[in-house]
Amino acid sequence: MISPIAWLKERIPVDGDQLAELSNEPVPNHLKRWWFALGGTPAYLFVVQIVTGILLAFYYEPSPRTAYGSVKYITDTAAYGWYFRSVHKWGATLMIAAVILHQMRVFFTGAYRKPREINWMIGMCLLVCTLMAGFTGYSLVYEQLSYWGTTVGANIGGSVPLIGPFMREMMLGGEAYNERTLSRLFIVHAAILPTLMVGLIVVHIALIRLQGVTEFQFKDEDQTKPRHFPFFPDHLYTELSIGLVLMILLSALATILPATLGPRADPLSTPEVIKPEWFFYVSFRWLKLFSGTFAVLSTGFIAFTMFIWPFIDGWIRRKSKYQEASVAVGIVAVLVIIGLTVWEAAVAH
Amino acid sequence: MDRRGFLSRASSIAMGAGLVGGYGVFAAMAGRFLYPARPSLKGWLFVIDVASMKPGASLTYTAPDGATIAVARQGLTGQVGDFIALSSTCPHLGCKVHWEGQNQRFFCPCHNGAFDPSGKAIAGPPKEAGQSLGRYPLRIENGLLFIEVPLEGLPGQEEA
Ligand code: HEM
Ligand code: FES
Repeated sequence: MISPIAWLKERIPVDGDQLAELSNEPVPNHLKRWWFALGGTPAYLFVVQIVTGILLAFYYEPSPRTAYGSVKYITDTAAYGWYFRSVHKWGATLMIAAVILHQMRVFFTGAYRKPREINWMIGMCLLVCTLMAGFTGYSLVYEQLSYWGTTVGANIGGSVPLIGPFMREMMLGGEAYNERTLSRLFIVHAAILPTLMVGLIVVHIALIRLQGVTEFQFKDEDQTKPRHFPFFPDHLYTELSIGLVLMILLSALATILPATLGPRADPLSTPEVIKPEWFFYVSFRWLKLFSGTFAVLSTGFIAFTMFIWPFIDGWIRRKSKYQEASVAVGIVAVLVIIGLTVWEAAVAH
Repeated sequence: MDRRGFLSRASSIAMGAGLVGGYGVFAAMAGRFLYPARPSLKGWLFVIDVASMKPGASLTYTAPDGATIAVARQGLTGQVGDFIALSSTCPHLGCKVHWEGQNQRFFCPCHNGAFDPSGKAIAGPPKEAGQSLGRYPLRIENGLLFIEVPLEGLPGQEEA
């Protein structure tokens, strides 16, 4: 009688040592500092979003007549529906926050510099996908604020010169918000963006493994100790404990501050005070400060600058004596973003 | 180039062209499938007998999709140029404006746009861009005023 393990081994010829060997990248010591492990957080939250999103999709019905009612059903009637919806909502919030923090860590430590320019650009794509997932996800609820947020968002896309009107039509499935709009937004939210993001995350992590993470040494570190520790099991334990903390945090937030449901969308009247989700406060304030076309073009320009920043930074470092100009630029950018966000949060109009 | 080399080169090119052509056609068909085909339905509907509306008068017309439209008469010629029918959709980014009686203006809550009674922007991003509230096309036939409006819209609040 052959043991089940031996039976399996004959068919799948890998053993534990080989697995450990495969995953065993030495990890530089600075990854023991929690802010360097921030990159793992959005990845973990992404999995949470997939699982809770698939659960929500069992009851969600994407059409203007049914969407609001189905979210109400999930919230009020389905067993633990309020919990899964709230975890999905808080997961989205934390994921966006985590992506931004991770990106700030990479930016301020200059970890995007040669040869990691491409991975920075992949990271930018992931940021855009995450923001779009937040935007399309919120639009699915079909409450007043999410309906008007979607309308304004689509029209912002529509005011891009040349391709704008075409983009808006593709997004709304017609000249204006109509019966077939929500099913489009739903497919983008629940199928297209997640698939794209899986691909981007795989390439992102593959490049990290190929290039190794940027090595840093801190002054307070013991210079005689080894500079690396093994990925398996040490770093895996760090990531697993982050996972545990996040699960507790998500459940606590979902229980204490569950996702709410505002009044149903009314295409005939815009509420007196309208706000997008917090992560769009910056662009919302920007839109109030400048005329439409300028606001849209300048946003595009800023996003493009962020996208190719590693090359701009490289150019500045070659041509001038300001080797750390990026830090100053970064601090100003962060202050402006925080300032505009707080401003938008503080006033009604 | 020898015969063999030529044949293998040619077959590689044919293979590449076949793949690009085949999947290209597939992608073009998918793009066409996703592009929304049907423009929204519009139609001409009766508003009022021209004679029963004095210059300076205004009324609120309700379109089939529930949108309320301010229709005003400004001139006396009896021609269609006497009338305006203002859209309540903000030309900036598409929110709905509402009439503020005490300020004698239309106000858009989204980015603080404001419009005077004739629809001209007087504040906010629409003013900076020199935009005005849109106007619905009007027509007079046999002394009757007609308006062109969308015939279908999203279900409003009351149907929920
Ligand atoms: C990629 C990361 C994702 C993010 C950032 C995200 C974000 C969001 C947000 C902000 C909402 C609105 C929540 C609310 O106000 O209730 C939402 C709703 C929804 N999402 Fe996601 N989502 C993600 C992935 C997914 C996936 C993978 C699926 C399904 C396969 C999914 C299915 C849904 C459904 C059905 C709703 C509507 C129900 C509801 O509002 O509770 N999501 N999403
Ligand atoms: S949508 Fe009316 S001011 Fe922006």
